[in-house]
Amino acid sequence: MFAQQIINAISLGGVYALLALGLAIVFSIVGLINFAHGELMTLSGYALLAALVFGLPFPLAVLVAVSCGALAAVAMERIAFRPMRGASVTSLLLTSFAVSSLLKVVFQNGISARPQAVAMPGWMTGAFSFGDFTIGVGPSISIVVSALALILLETFLRRSVTGTAMRAAAEDFDVVRLMGIPASRIIATAFLLSGLLAGLAAMLWVAQRASVDPLMGFTPVLKAFIAAVVGGLGSLPGAVAGGFLLGIIEVLLQATLPAAIAPYRDAIVLSGVIAVLLLRPQGLIPAVRVQRS
Amino acid sequence: MPRLYRLQRAALCAAVFGIASFSTANAEEIIIGAATAQTGGLAPYDQPALAGLRMSLDELNAKGGLGGKYVVKLLIKDTRSDTAQTATVAQELIDAGAKIMITPCDADASISAGQLTQPAGIPTLTLCGSAPVLTDAVGDVMFGTYPADNVQATAVADFAVSEGKKKVFLLTSPDSTYTANLPEYFGKVFEKKGGAVVGRGTFSMGQPDFSAEITNIKGMADQPDLIMTAAYEPDFPAFIQQLRGAGVTVPVYGADAIGTPTIKALGKLVDGVVYTAAGYAEPGSKLEAFNAAFTKYAGHAPESTYEVNGYEIGLILDQAVKTAGSDDAKAIRDAIAGLKDFQGVTGKITYAGTNRMPLRAVALMRYEGGEGKHVKTLIPDAADVPAP
Repeated sequence: MFAQQIINAISLGGVYALLALGLAIVFSIVGLINFAHGELMTLSGYALLAALVFGLPFPLAVLVAVSCGALAAVAMERIAFRPMRGASVTSLLLTSFAVSSLLKVVFQNGISARPQAVAMPGWMTGAFSFGDFTIGVGPSISIVVSALALILLETFLRRSVTGTAMRAAAEDFDVVRLMGIPASRIIATAFLLSGLLAGLAAMLWVAQRASVDPLMGFTPVLKAFIAAVVGGLGSLPGAVAGGFLLGIIEVLLQATLPAAIAPYRDAIVLSGVIAVLLLRPQGLIPAVRVQRS
Repeated sequence: MPRLYRLQRAALCAAVFGIASFSTANAEEIIIGAATAQTGGLAPYDQPALAGLRMSLDELNAKGGLGGKYVVKLLIKDTRSDTAQTATVAQELIDAGAKIMITPCDADASISAGQLTQPAGIPTLTLCGSAPVLTDAVGDVMFGTYPADNVQATAVADFAVSEGKKKVFLLTSPDSTYTANLPEYFGKVFEKKGGAVVGRGTFSMGQPDFSAEITNIKGMADQPDLIMTAAYEPDFPAFIQQLRGAGVTVPVYGADAIGTPTIKALGKLVDGVVYTAAGYAEPGSKLEAFNAAFTKYAGHAPESTYEVNGYEIGLILDQAVKTAGSDDAKAIRDAIAGLKDFQGVTGKITYAGTNRMPLRAVALMRYEGGEGKHVKTLIPDAADVPAP
């Protein structure tokens, strides 16, 4: 049973890591915590639903949904954040809250306040036995997809010119611009990547929850924010570490706390976060250039 | 004044003020305030209920208003599913002159509005809040309308016992009165009738992941033959998706909040799930006729029994004003509290002798192949219903 809980923890941690990474990529470059990141997930969720309703085969529908998340992120940057470029951290933060609220209301009034069921293919609710414990297909996919996404992102950042430029921009944006790299391209790429990650996370999230609703982005973005802060704001490896740490702590507490104390789980998790930050104020793996708002 | 002249004036009046004043030339106006959620987590419950209420008020207004005398002006304000905001808009509605207050489908929000209507003596009805503690937490102006949680839980427990279920696992969430108490009421009745509660688990509403809880259930030495929960959307779909995904086939029973199109659309995933409703539209029943009329009124079929429940609130108010013979708040309150065997659409509704949570029938339903199938309709024995 313990091994089973470990799998649960890694699976949840993986989703948190993807989300935290999405926040961190944007933060490392423009110094913005994008609280509308959750709404990118919601949007991808609705896109998946729409694609399935239009009769697209499941893999294609997932592809459409993830691309929608990515494009929406780029559009969000273009429409809401580009005019605010160079504004103070507070203004950026408020802009992201505004975008988030606006999208939520649009989803509620434009689609429905009621969650919409998303019929996942039957094989995704299956489970396979492995020795004397069973692993659900859902959590396994979660783990594989998270791992693949993290490896691909790492490769992109290490091996491609744009990736290298982005890593450099995270350290010193001005110098990167002096090298002749267009700022807008770097920033748009950062949003594109964060949208892709949000889209992927949304797929894993929806697969586990079987429905999409207008407010579904709120909890995950909050968790991702906590993970990113614990890991070290703006640090990509930190975001991943923070995501996994948060997932593992949550699952292990839920698994071990007696029913009477279990409702305090979130309070205990957040106290743990405070403790980590007291010991390591810059996070687990601090960013090279520490930004604080 | 010559009769002809009077008629002319009435015609002029009607021409100036439109159709509404035509049939109600002498009618007075009564303001009903609806502090309901148009956005947020309660909106999927409040909106259908409010649609039913509007339909009945429109019909009543066409016949001269409540009690045939008082044309209803319905003021609606959005609570955003927020308890504090509910109190704010309730105050605004009181200031606007509301004589009757309608509150959201949730005990916590309804209680916050009740704190304001109680001192003002304004009769207050929750759209479909079903926590039995709700009315006593406020006072004598507060009325429930939907079958109470303890009544629903007793109906489901009776049914589970009759099926031969012996061991139940209760999944609760302390985040709302409904999700915290309903399964516990079930547990009390179930134990009294010879069953055993073999385990308990909790979740937070909006929680992303149920895997830890589910692994705990799987690892129990004494396996339950039933899981009872009052989780609703989006938590219920998540729970059952992950439960079945982990290979657990134990049946899951719930209550009224999972009788929604969203849960139905989960299809095979929810096969065998038992839930409750305020009624079932048997062929030839009044409820079937209501469903047809509502479809015509709203342009879509009712999503659940919240619509008819809202509609019945209109009927209850009409009857109460008729009995009271005036629009006096105290008289209306007393008239509602004295209702006995009032013939609604779903069956008889009684407030007399209760703590203002109505005595009314509960329909048990079961999802099969993506459809809600009627199991039976019953009024649980009052002696079996656990105290709130």
